[in-house]
Amino acid sequence: MEHQLESLGRNLFAVFGLLALAGAAFMVVSKRAVHSVLAFLFTMLCVAGCYLSMDAEFLGVAQILVYAGGIVVLFLFVVMLVELTKYKEKDIFHTQSRAAAVAVIAGVVAFAGVFKHAFFGPASPEALVLRPELAQGLDVAHQNAQAIARGLFADYLLPFEILSVILLVALVGAVVLAKTERV
Amino acid sequence: MPPPMNLLQTIVMGLIQIVAVLIVVFIMVPLLTFAERKVIGYAQVRLGATRTASGTRGFTASLNRGMWAMGKVPVLSFFRGLPVFVADAVKLITKEDIIPAKADRAVFTLAPILSVVAAFGVFSAIAYYPGVMFYMPKSWPLIGGLPFNGAIADVNVGLLFILGLASVGVYGIVLGAWASNSKYPLLGGLRSAAQIVSYEVPLTLSLLPAVILAGTLNFKDMSVILSTGQGMSPLAVIPLFIGFFIYLTCGFAETNRVPFDLPEAETELVAGFHTEYSGMKFGFFYLAEYANMIVVSCLATAFFFGGYYLLPFGLQRIIPASVPFLGHPSFLFFMAKVSLLLFVFIWVRATLPRYRYDQLMDVGWKYLIPLSLVNLFIAAVIRYAF
Repeated sequence: MEHQLESLGRNLFAVFGLLALAGAAFMVVSKRAVHSVLAFLFTMLCVAGCYLSMDAEFLGVAQILVYAGGIVVLFLFVVMLVELTKYKEKDIFHTQSRAAAVAVIAGVVAFAGVFKHAFFGPASPEALVLRPELAQGLDVAHQNAQAIARGLFADYLLPFEILSVILLVALVGAVVLAKTERV
Repeated sequence: MPPPMNLLQTIVMGLIQIVAVLIVVFIMVPLLTFAERKVIGYAQVRLGATRTASGTRGFTASLNRGMWAMGKVPVLSFFRGLPVFVADAVKLITKEDIIPAKADRAVFTLAPILSVVAAFGVFSAIAYYPGVMFYMPKSWPLIGGLPFNGAIADVNVGLLFILGLASVGVYGIVLGAWASNSKYPLLGGLRSAAQIVSYEVPLTLSLLPAVILAGTLNFKDMSVILSTGQGMSPLAVIPLFIGFFIYLTCGFAETNRVPFDLPEAETELVAGFHTEYSGMKFGFFYLAEYANMIVVSCLATAFFFGGYYLLPFGLQRIIPASVPFLGHPSFLFFMAKVSLLLFVFIWVRATLPRYRYDQLMDVGWKYLIPLSLVNLFIAAVIRYAF
């Protein structure tokens, strides 16, 4: 039973991973912005499925909650309001094709480096695990929400808080930009 | 200890449980529409649906006719009109399914599906009874003696799973509105997106006191701890009581029910986001709305209203477990409370007028979010100081 479930999980990971890639590809090539957003939503849900198939319930569900439930809704909200077909003849969204091509090539090279390191390079010296004194009285394999909480609020509290400040800065920046444009 | 199951048995038992839950939901939704007609009817001093009866002959029919002839409203007329839901279902299924010429066909079809999948998927993580409800009869092949659990899936982040899946439901409304390619649905859809995203914040915040007090995200464990009050201070009643009302208010907004039904405000937007929908596609939106009402009632029951036990808000501790029936968890208590809350949904619809759009946003951002934050603070103090 355990063995069967394990191989099932591996296969599901492959299925969800391929679906996520297909969704991402469709998002890039799709002509209509709303279809792109839908494909993005699909990709996000598939990534959540990948996490779930690796027994990371908290991460998977948080992925659905944050990306699918929050961020993509806001994308959709904006995209719905901007009817892109109106601007087709003005061609305002295709002015950056050359810069985009350069960026894509740079991205591909960078990611190829990362993948080469991940697949062929040495394994990381130490795995990122919960300190044993933090894991006390906790069944880490089955309570990963609690395990993440203990790690996050004990060992990684400072990076966590700094990240939230960075998000706040982005938010304030967006408000400032929008305000100056109006005046 | 039940024997370990192999993969086939797990899948078969899972399917049996899914079908059982779906049957219950598909029975509850039509009954709910009937109850809605009747309760609103009585609240507005009229009879509600009475015209359709199961038969025009027989004892009850003649009794009814006799009472009508005497100029009295027949007592038995209460259940007349019940067969209307069969007619409703037949009409929705057989009606012509129109897709507007300028609609985005794929998205137009996808939207009701998303709505219904999100609404029904949530039922998989809800525990209707803590532990095993009953065992399958020993004589049955393959599944004999296997446990029928109170939940389809005992997810250890059950609450988050439910919130996440429910938040995907908004896509059905927004995409349906956009794909219709018509102005009233688009306005309704935009309103709905703003409303649901806004009210998700206080909804989640109102559930956090329950999470803090229970110390787990598992649906069943949360419900049992919160209703029996084991290991909780008696003061925990206060945040649970406040949280219940905040949660229920936000639940009304999340399900687009009166007084928060701005996405389908008839007076302004024809029928809101589903103006262009007909046939079973409209039926799916309809099903999803009522399924969402049941979900909200289930969650409010499980976390605040005492779950499978008799008394709400963690007061169950005053009844010792030695008392027969009343001291034990029961599926009946759960269903009775869910039904009561569904009645509240209908009652509110019959009573309150609709909010204006700015009032709706005020209620959400200026009152419910601060209130739920204060409630969260109270819960945290009670958890760690008492």
